[in-house]
Amino acid sequence: MKEKIIGETIIEVDSVSKTFDRRIKALRDVSLKVKQKEVVVIIGPSGSGKSTLLRCLNGLEETERGSIIIDDTPLDEHHKNRLKIRTEVGMVFQNFNLFPHMTVRDNIRTGPRFVRKEAIDEVDIRTEDLLEKVGITDKIDSFPRQLSGGQQQRVAIARALAMNPLIMLFDEPTSALDPEMVGEVLEVMKTLAHEGMTMVVVTHEMGFAREVGDRIIFMDEGKIVEESSVEDFFENPEKERTKLFLSKILDNGGCE
Amino acid sequence: MTTGQKKKFKLIDLILITLIIALIIYVLYRIRVSIRYEWSWDIIPKYLFRFDDDRGRFVASTITHGFIMTIKLSIWGIILGTLIGVIMGILRVQNGLFGRFLGRIYVDIIRNIPPIVLVFIFYFFFSSQILDNLGFEEAVLRAGPAMQNFVRIIFIDPKLLNEFLSAALSIAIYEGAYITEIVRAGIESIPKGQWEAGHSIGLSRFAQFRHIILPQAFKNVMPPLSGQFISTIKDSAIVSVISVPELSFQGMQVMASTYATFETWIVITILYFVLTFSCSSIFSRLLKKMQSAD
Ligand SMILES: Nc1ncnc2c1ncn2[C@@H]1O[C@H](COP(=O)(O)OP(=O)(O)OP(=O)(O)O)[C@@H](O)[C@H]1O
Ligand SMILES: [Mg+2]
Repeated sequence: MKEKIIGETIIEVDSVSKTFDRRIKALRDVSLKVKQKEVVVIIGPSGSGKSTLLRCLNGLEETERGSIIIDDTPLDEHHKNRLKIRTEVGMVFQNFNLFPHMTVRDNIRTGPRFVRKEAIDEVDIRTEDLLEKVGITDKIDSFPRQLSGGQQQRVAIARALAMNPLIMLFDEPTSALDPEMVGEVLEVMKTLAHEGMTMVVVTHEMGFAREVGDRIIFMDEGKIVEESSVEDFFENPEKERTKLFLSKILDNGGCE
Repeated sequence: MTTGQKKKFKLIDLILITLIIALIIYVLYRIRVSIRYEWSWDIIPKYLFRFDDDRGRFVASTITHGFIMTIKLSIWGIILGTLIGVIMGILRVQNGLFGRFLGRIYVDIIRNIPPIVLVFIFYFFFSSQILDNLGFEEAVLRAGPAMQNFVRIIFIDPKLLNEFLSAALSIAIYEGAYITEIVRAGIESIPKGQWEAGHSIGLSRFAQFRHIILPQAFKNVMPPLSGQFISTIKDSAIVSVISVPELSFQGMQVMASTYATFETWIVITILYFVLTFSCSSIFSRLLKKMQSAD
Protein backbone atom coordinates (compact mmCIF):
# COMPACT_ATOMS: atom_id res chain seq x y z
CA MET A 1 0.00 0.00 0.00
CA LYS A 2 1.48 3.28 -1.08
CA GLU A 3 1.69 6.04 1.48
CA LYS A 4 -0.67 8.88 0.78
CA ILE A 5 0.30 12.46 1.36
CA ILE A 6 -2.09 14.29 3.66
CA GLY A 7 -2.83 17.76 2.32
CA GLU A 8 -4.16 21.09 3.49
CA THR A 9 -7.09 21.51 5.88
CA ILE A 10 -10.33 21.06 3.96
CA ILE A 11 -12.91 20.87 6.76
CA GLU A 12 -12.76 23.32 9.61
CA VAL A 13 -15.38 23.08 12.33
CA ASP A 14 -15.08 25.73 15.00
CA SER A 15 -17.01 25.53 18.29
CA VAL A 16 -20.24 24.34 16.76
CA SER A 17 -23.28 23.75 18.94
CA LYS A 18 -26.65 22.33 18.04
CA THR A 19 -29.75 22.04 20.17
CA PHE A 20 -32.92 20.20 19.19
CA ASP A 21 -36.31 21.24 20.50
CA ARG A 22 -34.72 23.88 22.73
CA ARG A 23 -33.31 21.35 25.22
CA ILE A 24 -31.64 18.36 23.56
CA LYS A 25 -28.00 19.40 23.28
CA ALA A 26 -26.83 17.24 20.39
CA LEU A 27 -23.53 19.08 19.88
CA ARG A 28 -21.72 21.14 22.50
CA ASP A 29 -18.92 23.30 21.31
CA VAL A 30 -17.42 20.87 18.82
CA SER A 31 -14.24 21.79 16.97
CA LEU A 32 -12.59 19.62 14.38
CA LYS A 33 -10.18 19.88 11.47
CA VAL A 34 -9.88 17.41 8.65
CA LYS A 35 -7.13 17.56 6.04
CA GLN A 36 -7.28 16.59 2.41
CA LYS A 37 -7.07 12.84 1.84
CA GLU A 38 -7.51 12.15 5.52
CA VAL A 39 -9.84 9.38 6.70
CA VAL A 40 -11.41 10.31 10.02
CA VAL A 41 -13.44 7.71 11.88
CA ILE A 42 -16.01 8.87 14.42
CA ILE A 43 -17.21 6.49 17.09
CA GLY A 44 -19.27 6.91 20.22
CA PRO A 45 -22.39 5.63 21.97
CA SER A 46 -25.89 6.09 20.59
CA GLY A 47 -27.15 9.64 20.89
CA SER A 48 -23.68 11.12 21.27
CA GLY A 49 -24.17 13.43 18.29
CA LYS A 50 -22.20 11.61 15.58
CA SER A 51 -24.93 11.83 12.96
CA THR A 52 -25.73 15.40 13.90
CA LEU A 53 -22.11 16.43 13.40
CA LEU A 54 -22.00 14.75 10.00
CA ARG A 55 -25.30 16.29 8.95
CA CYS A 56 -24.09 19.75 9.95
CA LEU A 57 -21.15 19.33 7.59
CA ASN A 58 -23.33 19.33 4.47
CA GLY A 59 -25.98 21.70 5.71
CA LEU A 60 -28.65 19.10 6.48
CA GLU A 61 -28.85 20.59 9.96
CA GLU A 62 -28.48 24.25 10.81
CA THR A 63 -25.90 25.05 13.42
CA GLU A 64 -26.74 27.69 15.97
CA ARG A 65 -23.27 28.67 17.12
CA GLY A 66 -19.79 28.35 15.71
CA SER A 67 -18.69 28.12 12.11
CA ILE A 68 -18.03 25.50 9.48
CA ILE A 69 -15.68 26.12 6.58
CA ILE A 70 -15.34 23.59 3.81
CA ASP A 71 -12.79 24.00 1.04
CA ASP A 72 -12.42 27.68 1.97
CA THR A 73 -16.15 28.22 1.63
CA PRO A 74 -18.02 29.17 4.80
CA LEU A 75 -21.27 27.30 5.37
CA ASP A 76 -23.26 30.45 6.06
CA GLU A 77 -26.58 31.87 5.03
CA HIS A 78 -25.45 32.54 1.46
CA HIS A 79 -27.32 30.25 -0.85
CA LYS A 80 -24.42 30.04 -3.29
CA ASN A 81 -22.02 28.86 -0.61
CA ARG A 82 -24.44 26.29 0.71
CA LEU A 83 -25.05 24.91 -2.76
CA LYS A 84 -21.32 24.71 -3.46
CA ILE A 85 -20.74 22.80 -0.24
CA ARG A 86 -23.62 20.45 -0.90
CA THR A 87 -22.24 19.53 -4.28
CA GLU A 88 -18.69 19.12 -2.96
CA VAL A 89 -19.67 16.94 -0.02
CA GLY A 90 -21.16 13.54 -0.75
CA MET A 91 -23.14 11.67 1.86
CA VAL A 92 -23.94 8.02 2.34
CA PHE A 93 -26.76 7.16 4.74
CA GLN A 94 -27.34 4.25 7.05
CA ASN A 95 -30.43 3.13 5.16
CA PHE A 96 -29.20 4.01 1.68
CA ASN A 97 -32.05 6.41 0.80
CA LEU A 98 -31.95 5.40 -2.85
CA PHE A 99 -34.75 6.83 -4.96
CA PRO A 100 -37.12 3.86 -5.25
CA HIS A 101 -38.90 5.11 -8.37
CA MET A 102 -35.70 5.37 -10.39
CA THR A 103 -33.46 2.74 -11.89
CA VAL A 104 -29.89 2.43 -10.68
CA ARG A 105 -28.80 4.47 -13.70
CA ASP A 106 -31.23 7.29 -12.94
CA ASN A 107 -30.32 7.28 -9.27
CA ILE A 108 -26.73 7.92 -10.21
CA ARG A 109 -27.24 10.45 -12.96
CA THR A 110 -29.89 12.60 -11.29
CA GLY A 111 -27.30 14.80 -9.57
CA PRO A 112 -25.04 15.40 -12.59
CA ARG A 113 -28.01 16.01 -14.86
CA PHE A 114 -30.10 18.34 -12.77
CA VAL A 115 -27.45 20.07 -10.69
CA ARG A 116 -24.49 20.19 -13.02
CA LYS A 117 -26.61 20.15 -16.18
CA GLU A 118 -24.19 17.77 -17.82
CA ALA A 119 -24.82 16.25 -21.23
CA ILE A 120 -26.50 12.90 -20.98
CA ASP A 121 -23.99 10.78 -22.90
CA GLU A 122 -21.17 12.18 -20.81
CA VAL A 123 -23.04 11.28 -17.64
CA ASP A 124 -23.84 7.82 -18.95
CA ILE A 125 -20.18 6.99 -19.48
CA ARG A 126 -19.39 8.08 -15.94
CA THR A 127 -22.37 6.16 -14.56
CA GLU A 128 -21.04 2.97 -16.08
CA ASP A 129 -17.54 3.66 -14.79
CA LEU A 130 -18.84 4.27 -11.29
CA LEU A 131 -20.90 1.10 -11.30
CA GLU A 132 -17.85 -0.82 -12.38
CA LYS A 133 -15.95 0.74 -9.53
CA VAL A 134 -18.52 -0.39 -6.96
CA GLY A 135 -18.88 -3.74 -8.70
CA ILE A 136 -22.48 -3.67 -9.94
CA THR A 137 -22.33 -3.47 -13.71
CA ASP A 138 -25.15 -5.89 -14.45
CA LYS A 139 -27.82 -4.05 -12.43
CA ILE A 140 -27.78 -0.72 -14.21
CA ASP A 141 -31.43 -0.94 -15.27
CA SER A 142 -32.73 -2.56 -12.08
CA PHE A 143 -34.75 -0.77 -9.47
CA PRO A 144 -33.38 -0.45 -5.92
CA ARG A 145 -35.84 -2.94 -4.47
CA GLN A 146 -34.46 -5.62 -6.79
CA LEU A 147 -31.03 -5.29 -5.18
CA SER A 148 -29.62 -6.70 -1.95
CA GLY A 149 -28.79 -4.31 0.88
CA GLY A 150 -25.09 -4.43 0.10
CA GLN A 151 -25.72 -3.68 -3.55
CA GLN A 152 -28.04 -0.82 -2.67
CA GLN A 153 -25.44 0.76 -0.44
CA ARG A 154 -22.83 0.45 -3.16
CA VAL A 155 -25.18 2.17 -5.60
CA ALA A 156 -25.69 4.90 -3.00
CA ILE A 157 -21.92 5.37 -2.85
CA ALA A 158 -21.78 5.57 -6.65
CA ARG A 159 -24.61 8.12 -6.60
CA ALA A 160 -22.66 10.34 -4.21
CA LEU A 161 -19.46 9.91 -6.23
CA ALA A 162 -21.22 10.94 -9.43
CA MET A 163 -21.02 14.54 -8.27
CA ASN A 164 -17.23 14.26 -8.07
CA PRO A 165 -17.21 15.28 -4.41
CA LEU A 166 -14.10 16.45 -2.58
CA ILE A 167 -15.29 14.89 0.65
CA MET A 168 -17.39 11.84 1.43
CA LEU A 169 -19.40 11.50 4.62
CA PHE A 170 -20.55 8.06 5.74
CA ASP A 171 -23.12 7.66 8.51
CA GLU A 172 -22.97 4.07 9.73
CA PRO A 173 -22.99 2.76 6.16
CA THR A 174 -22.92 -0.89 7.15
CA SER A 175 -25.06 -1.08 10.26
CA ALA A 176 -28.31 -1.73 8.37
CA LEU A 177 -26.75 -4.60 6.43
CA ASP A 178 -26.80 -8.34 6.95
CA PRO A 179 -23.37 -9.42 8.23
CA GLU A 180 -22.41 -11.18 5.01
CA MET A 181 -22.83 -7.95 3.04
CA VAL A 182 -20.79 -5.69 5.28
CA GLY A 183 -17.52 -6.74 3.66
CA GLU A 184 -18.42 -5.76 0.10
CA VAL A 185 -19.37 -2.22 1.17
CA LEU A 186 -16.27 -1.80 3.31
CA GLU A 187 -14.15 -2.95 0.36
CA VAL A 188 -15.51 -0.12 -1.79
CA MET A 189 -14.85 2.36 1.00
CA LYS A 190 -11.31 1.11 1.44
CA THR A 191 -10.64 1.52 -2.27
CA LEU A 192 -11.88 5.09 -2.02
CA ALA A 193 -9.64 5.74 0.95
CA HIS A 194 -6.62 4.38 -0.88
CA GLU A 195 -7.40 6.60 -3.84
CA GLY A 196 -7.06 9.58 -1.56
CA MET A 197 -10.67 10.56 -0.96
CA THR A 198 -11.18 12.72 2.11
CA MET A 199 -13.59 10.75 4.28
CA VAL A 200 -15.43 11.24 7.54
CA VAL A 201 -16.91 7.92 8.60
CA VAL A 202 -19.20 7.15 11.50
CA THR A 203 -18.76 3.44 12.06
CA HIS A 204 -18.11 0.83 14.65
CA GLU A 205 -16.21 -1.36 12.21
CA MET A 206 -12.90 -1.32 14.03
CA GLY A 207 -11.19 -3.42 11.37
CA PHE A 208 -11.94 -0.71 8.84
CA ALA A 209 -10.73 2.00 11.22
CA ARG A 210 -7.44 0.18 11.82
CA GLU A 211 -6.84 -0.50 8.17
CA VAL A 212 -7.57 2.84 6.50
CA GLY A 213 -8.32 5.30 9.30
CA ASP A 214 -5.83 8.09 9.94
CA ARG A 215 -7.52 9.49 12.98
CA ILE A 216 -10.23 8.40 15.37
CA ILE A 217 -12.61 10.69 17.17
CA PHE A 218 -14.56 9.50 20.15
CA MET A 219 -17.73 11.42 20.92
CA ASP A 220 -19.94 11.35 23.96
CA GLU A 221 -22.85 13.58 24.99
CA GLY A 222 -22.33 15.96 22.13
CA LYS A 223 -18.64 16.51 22.75
CA ILE A 224 -15.43 15.22 21.27
CA VAL A 225 -13.95 13.32 24.21
CA GLU A 226 -10.84 11.97 22.61
CA GLU A 227 -9.06 12.50 19.34
CA SER A 228 -5.98 10.55 18.39
CA SER A 229 -4.17 8.63 15.72
CA VAL A 230 -5.48 5.15 15.06
CA GLU A 231 -2.50 3.42 16.67
CA ASP A 232 -2.65 5.47 19.85
CA PHE A 233 -6.35 5.04 20.09
CA PHE A 234 -6.25 1.27 20.22
CA GLU A 235 -2.90 0.86 22.04
CA ASN A 236 -3.28 3.39 24.84
CA PRO A 237 -6.53 5.33 24.98
CA GLU A 238 -6.26 8.24 27.39
CA LYS A 239 -9.70 8.69 28.85
CA GLU A 240 -11.54 6.21 31.05
CA ARG A 241 -14.74 6.80 29.09
CA THR A 242 -13.02 5.76 25.87
CA LYS A 243 -11.55 2.62 27.43
CA LEU A 244 -14.93 1.56 28.67
CA PHE A 245 -16.55 2.08 25.30
CA LEU A 246 -13.72 0.35 23.47
CA SER A 247 -13.91 -2.70 25.67
CA LYS A 248 -17.63 -2.89 25.00
CA ILE A 249 -17.52 -2.71 21.22
CA LEU A 250 -14.44 -4.89 20.93
CA ASP A 251 -16.21 -7.54 23.01
CA ASN A 252 -19.17 -7.36 20.70
CA GLY A 253 -16.94 -8.12 17.77
CA GLY A 254 -17.16 -4.58 16.51
CA CYS A 255 -20.80 -4.69 15.53
CA GLU A 256 -23.48 -2.35 16.75
CA MET B 1 -58.29 -11.26 -5.20
CA THR B 2 -54.91 -12.79 -4.74
CA THR B 3 -56.00 -15.35 -2.17
CA GLY B 4 -55.96 -18.77 -3.69
CA GLN B 5 -59.08 -19.72 -1.76
CA LYS B 6 -62.24 -20.46 -3.66
CA LYS B 7 -65.11 -18.26 -2.66
CA LYS B 8 -67.82 -20.37 -1.13
CA PHE B 9 -71.47 -19.64 -0.79
CA LYS B 10 -72.01 -19.75 2.95
CA LEU B 11 -75.09 -19.88 5.15
CA ILE B 12 -74.56 -16.22 6.06
CA ASP B 13 -74.88 -15.27 2.38
CA LEU B 14 -78.18 -17.13 2.14
CA ILE B 15 -79.52 -15.35 5.22
CA LEU B 16 -78.46 -11.95 3.89
CA ILE B 17 -80.04 -12.51 0.50
CA THR B 18 -83.28 -13.69 2.07
CA LEU B 19 -83.35 -10.59 4.28
CA ILE B 20 -82.77 -8.23 1.37
CA ILE B 21 -85.44 -9.83 -0.78
CA ALA B 22 -87.86 -9.73 2.14
CA LEU B 23 -87.14 -6.04 2.64
CA ILE B 24 -87.73 -5.21 -1.02
CA ILE B 25 -91.01 -7.14 -1.04
CA TYR B 26 -92.09 -5.36 2.11
CA VAL B 27 -91.33 -1.90 0.69
CA LEU B 28 -93.16 -2.68 -2.55
CA TYR B 29 -96.07 -4.01 -0.55
CA ARG B 30 -96.24 -0.83 1.54
CA ILE B 31 -96.16 1.33 -1.56
CA ARG B 32 -98.90 -0.68 -3.19
CA VAL B 33 -101.20 -1.28 -0.23
CA SER B 34 -100.73 1.57 2.22
CA ILE B 35 -100.23 4.57 0.03
CA ARG B 36 -101.97 3.03 -2.98
CA TYR B 37 -99.24 4.22 -5.27
CA GLU B 38 -100.08 4.09 -8.96
CA TRP B 39 -96.95 3.25 -10.90
CA SER B 40 -96.84 5.12 -14.16
CA TRP B 41 -93.54 4.27 -15.76
CA ASP B 42 -94.90 5.22 -19.15
CA ILE B 43 -94.47 8.93 -18.52
CA ILE B 44 -90.74 8.64 -17.82
CA PRO B 45 -89.34 8.05 -21.35
CA LYS B 46 -90.44 11.42 -22.67
CA TYR B 47 -88.38 13.10 -19.97
CA LEU B 48 -85.35 11.20 -21.17
CA PHE B 49 -85.80 11.70 -24.89
CA ARG B 50 -88.51 13.41 -26.86
CA PHE B 51 -89.26 13.55 -30.54
CA ASP B 52 -88.37 16.89 -32.06
CA ASP B 53 -90.79 17.61 -34.91
CA ASP B 54 -88.65 20.38 -36.36
CA ARG B 55 -85.55 18.27 -36.64
CA GLY B 56 -87.38 15.05 -37.22
CA ARG B 57 -85.40 13.01 -34.71
CA PHE B 58 -85.20 12.21 -31.02
CA VAL B 59 -83.44 14.78 -28.85
CA ALA B 60 -82.38 14.84 -25.20
CA SER B 61 -85.06 15.86 -22.76
CA THR B 62 -85.20 17.19 -19.18
CA ILE B 63 -83.52 14.35 -17.30
CA THR B 64 -80.90 13.68 -19.96
CA HIS B 65 -80.03 17.37 -19.99
CA GLY B 66 -79.55 17.16 -16.26
CA PHE B 67 -77.39 14.09 -16.65
CA ILE B 68 -75.12 15.90 -19.13
CA MET B 69 -75.05 18.98 -16.89
CA THR B 70 -73.96 16.85 -13.93
CA ILE B 71 -71.14 15.43 -16.03
CA LYS B 72 -70.00 18.91 -17.09
CA LEU B 73 -70.19 20.26 -13.56
CA SER B 74 -68.24 17.28 -12.25
CA ILE B 75 -65.54 17.62 -14.89
CA TRP B 76 -65.07 21.32 -14.14
CA GLY B 77 -65.27 20.70 -10.41
CA ILE B 78 -62.62 17.98 -10.68
CA ILE B 79 -60.29 20.00 -12.91
CA LEU B 80 -60.49 23.18 -10.84
CA GLY B 81 -60.64 21.34 -7.50
CA THR B 82 -57.52 19.38 -8.39
CA LEU B 83 -55.76 22.56 -9.42
CA ILE B 84 -56.66 24.27 -6.14
CA GLY B 85 -55.91 21.15 -4.11
CA VAL B 86 -52.50 20.56 -5.64
CA ILE B 87 -51.44 24.19 -5.17
CA MET B 88 -52.78 24.36 -1.62
CA GLY B 89 -51.41 20.93 -0.75
CA ILE B 90 -47.94 21.97 -1.87
CA LEU B 91 -48.28 25.24 0.05
CA ARG B 92 -49.11 23.25 3.16
CA VAL B 93 -45.82 21.36 3.10
CA GLN B 94 -43.71 24.40 2.24
CA ASN B 95 -41.22 25.89 4.64
CA GLY B 96 -42.72 29.34 4.14
CA LEU B 97 -44.93 30.30 7.04
CA PHE B 98 -47.45 32.32 5.07
CA GLY B 99 -48.12 29.56 2.53
CA ARG B 100 -48.61 27.04 5.30
CA PHE B 101 -50.94 29.34 7.13
CA LEU B 102 -52.97 30.07 4.01
CA GLY B 103 -53.34 26.37 3.19
CA ARG B 104 -54.30 25.58 6.74
CA ILE B 105 -56.92 28.32 6.99
CA TYR B 106 -58.46 27.32 3.68
CA VAL B 107 -58.82 23.69 4.66
CA ASP B 108 -60.12 24.50 8.13
CA ILE B 109 -62.74 26.93 6.90
CA ILE B 110 -64.06 24.77 4.09
CA ARG B 111 -64.17 21.61 6.13
CA ASN B 112 -66.04 23.30 8.95
CA ILE B 113 -68.92 24.87 7.10
CA PRO B 114 -71.78 22.94 5.50
CA PRO B 115 -71.30 22.73 1.74
CA ILE B 116 -74.77 24.15 1.14
CA VAL B 117 -73.75 27.35 2.92
CA LEU B 118 -70.69 27.55 0.74
CA VAL B 119 -72.81 27.22 -2.38
CA PHE B 120 -75.11 30.04 -1.25
CA ILE B 121 -72.30 32.34 -0.21
CA PHE B 122 -70.65 31.78 -3.51
CA TYR B 123 -73.78 32.27 -5.50
CA PHE B 124 -74.88 35.49 -3.83
CA PHE B 125 -71.46 37.00 -3.37
CA PHE B 126 -69.41 35.70 -6.25
CA SER B 127 -72.11 35.61 -8.88
CA SER B 128 -73.95 38.82 -8.04
CA GLN B 129 -71.00 40.93 -6.94
CA ILE B 130 -68.05 39.76 -8.97
CA LEU B 131 -69.30 37.96 -12.05
CA ASP B 132 -72.04 40.48 -12.75
CA ASN B 133 -69.65 43.36 -12.45
CA LEU B 134 -67.14 41.67 -14.67
CA GLY B 135 -69.91 41.38 -17.22
CA PHE B 136 -69.00 37.88 -18.30
CA GLU B 137 -72.48 36.80 -19.11
CA GLU B 138 -73.30 39.94 -21.07
CA ALA B 139 -70.09 39.71 -23.01
CA VAL B 140 -70.93 36.20 -24.09
CA LEU B 141 -74.51 37.15 -24.92
CA ARG B 142 -73.27 40.00 -27.06
CA ALA B 143 -70.66 37.85 -28.76
CA GLY B 144 -71.44 36.00 -31.96
CA PRO B 145 -73.32 32.70 -32.18
CA ALA B 146 -70.06 30.77 -32.55
CA MET B 147 -68.92 31.95 -29.14
CA GLN B 148 -72.32 31.27 -27.62
CA ASN B 149 -72.30 27.78 -29.01
CA PHE B 150 -68.86 27.17 -27.63
CA VAL B 151 -69.95 28.31 -24.17
CA ARG B 152 -73.05 26.14 -24.46
CA ILE B 153 -70.97 23.08 -25.22
CA ILE B 154 -68.30 23.43 -22.56
CA PHE B 155 -70.41 25.14 -19.88
CA ILE B 156 -74.10 25.88 -20.22
CA ASP B 157 -76.63 28.05 -22.00
CA PRO B 158 -75.10 31.55 -21.83
CA LYS B 159 -78.15 32.85 -19.97
CA LEU B 160 -77.23 30.65 -17.02
CA LEU B 161 -73.47 31.18 -17.23
CA ASN B 162 -73.13 33.00 -13.90
CA GLU B 163 -75.03 30.26 -12.08
CA PHE B 164 -72.91 27.60 -13.70
CA LEU B 165 -69.62 29.31 -12.95
CA SER B 166 -70.42 29.91 -9.31
CA ALA B 167 -71.69 26.34 -9.01
CA ALA B 168 -68.56 24.85 -10.57
CA LEU B 169 -66.34 27.08 -8.46
CA SER B 170 -68.07 26.29 -5.20
CA ILE B 171 -67.81 22.56 -5.98
CA ALA B 172 -64.14 23.04 -6.84
CA ILE B 173 -63.41 24.97 -3.68
CA TYR B 174 -65.24 22.44 -1.57
CA GLU B 175 -63.53 19.40 -3.11
CA GLY B 176 -60.25 21.31 -3.28
CA ALA B 177 -60.04 21.35 0.52
CA TYR B 178 -60.18 17.56 0.64
CA ILE B 179 -57.77 17.24 -2.27
CA THR B 180 -55.42 19.60 -0.42
CA GLU B 181 -55.31 17.16 2.47
CA ILE B 182 -54.84 14.20 0.13
CA VAL B 183 -51.93 15.93 -1.57
CA ARG B 184 -50.40 16.97 1.73
CA ALA B 185 -50.66 13.45 3.14
CA GLY B 186 -49.21 12.03 -0.07
CA ILE B 187 -46.19 14.30 0.11
CA GLU B 188 -45.68 13.80 3.82
CA SER B 189 -45.79 10.03 3.42
CA ILE B 190 -42.48 10.15 1.56
CA PRO B 191 -39.69 9.52 4.09
CA LYS B 192 -37.51 12.47 5.06
CA GLY B 193 -34.48 10.53 3.90
CA GLN B 194 -35.60 11.04 0.31
CA TRP B 195 -35.43 14.82 0.64
CA GLU B 196 -32.10 14.48 2.41
CA ALA B 197 -30.62 12.25 -0.27
CA GLY B 198 -31.67 14.82 -2.87
CA HIS B 199 -30.19 17.60 -0.77
CA SER B 200 -26.89 15.79 -0.43
CA ILE B 201 -26.42 15.40 -4.18
CA GLY B 202 -26.95 19.13 -4.53
CA LEU B 203 -30.53 19.31 -5.82
CA SER B 204 -32.35 22.53 -5.03
CA ARG B 205 -35.40 22.29 -2.83
CA PHE B 206 -37.58 22.59 -5.93
CA ALA B 207 -35.63 19.93 -7.82
CA GLN B 208 -35.87 17.59 -4.83
CA PHE B 209 -39.60 18.08 -4.92
CA ARG B 210 -39.94 17.83 -8.67
CA HIS B 211 -37.73 14.82 -9.35
CA ILE B 212 -37.84 12.84 -6.15
CA ILE B 213 -40.86 13.58 -4.01
CA LEU B 214 -43.55 14.33 -6.58
CA PRO B 215 -43.23 11.13 -8.66
CA GLN B 216 -43.43 9.03 -5.51
CA ALA B 217 -46.23 11.08 -3.96
CA PHE B 218 -48.17 10.86 -7.22
CA LYS B 219 -48.52 7.12 -6.85
CA ASN B 220 -49.64 7.42 -3.24
CA VAL B 221 -52.14 10.11 -4.06
CA MET B 222 -53.92 8.46 -6.97
CA PRO B 223 -56.16 6.00 -5.06
CA PRO B 224 -57.61 8.52 -2.56
CA LEU B 225 -57.80 11.14 -5.29
CA SER B 226 -59.92 8.96 -7.53
CA GLY B 227 -62.21 8.36 -4.56
CA GLN B 228 -62.53 12.11 -4.17
CA PHE B 229 -63.41 12.45 -7.86
CA ILE B 230 -66.30 10.04 -7.36
CA SER B 231 -67.42 12.11 -4.38
CA THR B 232 -67.36 15.20 -6.55
CA ILE B 233 -69.94 13.67 -8.89
CA LYS B 234 -72.21 12.91 -5.96
CA ASP B 235 -71.59 16.22 -4.20
CA SER B 236 -72.42 18.17 -7.35
CA ALA B 237 -76.12 17.56 -6.58
CA ILE B 238 -75.90 20.28 -3.96
CA VAL B 239 -75.87 23.08 -6.52
CA SER B 240 -79.48 22.28 -7.34
CA VAL B 241 -80.26 24.81 -4.60
CA ILE B 242 -79.15 27.63 -6.88
CA SER B 243 -81.19 26.26 -9.78
CA VAL B 244 -78.41 24.92 -11.90
CA PRO B 245 -80.24 22.38 -14.05
CA GLU B 246 -78.19 19.35 -13.13
CA LEU B 247 -79.55 15.86 -12.56
CA SER B 248 -81.11 16.36 -9.12
CA PHE B 249 -82.63 19.70 -10.01
CA GLN B 250 -84.16 18.24 -13.16
CA GLY B 251 -85.44 15.36 -11.08
CA MET B 252 -87.29 17.80 -8.84
CA GLN B 253 -88.72 19.56 -11.88
CA VAL B 254 -90.04 16.33 -13.38
CA MET B 255 -91.43 15.25 -10.04
CA ALA B 256 -93.22 18.56 -9.58
CA SER B 257 -94.91 18.37 -12.95
CA THR B 258 -95.73 14.64 -13.01
CA TYR B 259 -96.06 13.60 -9.34
CA ALA B 260 -94.30 10.40 -10.38
CA THR B 261 -92.08 10.59 -7.31
CA PHE B 262 -90.84 7.03 -7.13
CA GLU B 263 -90.29 6.56 -10.82
CA THR B 264 -88.38 9.81 -11.16
CA TRP B 265 -86.09 9.20 -8.23
CA ILE B 266 -85.48 5.61 -9.19
CA VAL B 267 -84.36 6.83 -12.62
CA ILE B 268 -82.22 9.59 -11.10
CA THR B 269 -80.63 7.11 -8.70
CA ILE B 270 -79.81 4.73 -11.53
CA LEU B 271 -78.25 7.52 -13.56
CA TYR B 272 -76.03 8.67 -10.68
CA PHE B 273 -75.07 5.10 -10.06
CA VAL B 274 -74.19 4.50 -13.71
CA LEU B 275 -72.00 7.58 -13.64
CA THR B 276 -70.14 6.90 -10.41
CA PHE B 277 -69.86 3.18 -10.99
CA SER B 278 -68.42 3.52 -14.46
CA CYS B 279 -65.99 6.17 -13.24
CA SER B 280 -64.83 4.05 -10.35
CA SER B 281 -64.28 1.03 -12.59
CA ILE B 282 -62.29 3.17 -15.03
CA PHE B 283 -60.21 4.53 -12.16
CA SER B 284 -59.54 1.15 -10.62
CA ARG B 285 -58.47 -0.20 -14.01
CA LEU B 286 -56.12 2.76 -14.46
CA LEU B 287 -54.69 2.30 -10.99
CA LYS B 288 -54.06 -1.36 -11.64
CA LYS B 289 -52.29 -0.50 -14.87
CA MET B 290 -50.18 2.07 -13.05
CA GLN B 291 -49.16 -0.44 -10.42
CA SER B 292 -48.26 -3.16 -12.86
CA ALA B 293 -46.32 -0.67 -14.98
CA ASP B 294 -43.32 -0.89 -12.68
N1 LIG C 1 -34.30 15.83 14.36
C1 LIG C 1 -34.11 15.70 15.70
N2 LIG C 1 -35.02 16.19 16.55
C2 LIG C 1 -34.83 16.07 17.88
N3 LIG C 1 -33.79 15.48 18.45
C3 LIG C 1 -32.84 14.96 17.65
C4 LIG C 1 -32.96 15.04 16.22
N4 LIG C 1 -31.89 14.43 15.69
C5 LIG C 1 -31.13 14.02 16.72
N5 LIG C 1 -31.70 14.32 17.90
C6 LIG C 1 -31.14 14.05 19.23
O1 LIG C 1 -29.83 14.55 19.26
C7 LIG C 1 -28.98 13.66 19.96
C8 LIG C 1 -27.84 13.24 19.05
O2 LIG C 1 -28.37 12.45 18.02
P1 LIG C 1 -27.50 11.78 16.89
O3 LIG C 1 -28.43 11.16 15.93
O4 LIG C 1 -26.55 12.78 16.36
O5 LIG C 1 -26.70 10.67 17.68
P2 LIG C 1 -25.80 9.49 17.12
O6 LIG C 1 -24.52 9.60 17.82
O7 LIG C 1 -25.77 9.53 15.64
O8 LIG C 1 -26.55 8.21 17.61
P3 LIG C 1 -26.75 6.79 16.91
O9 LIG C 1 -25.51 6.01 17.15
O10 LIG C 1 -27.93 6.21 17.61
O11 LIG C 1 -26.99 7.04 15.46
C9 LIG C 1 -29.85 12.53 20.42
O12 LIG C 1 -30.23 12.78 21.77
C10 LIG C 1 -31.04 12.57 19.52
O13 LIG C 1 -32.17 12.10 20.18
MG1 LIG D 1 -26.51 8.26 14.10
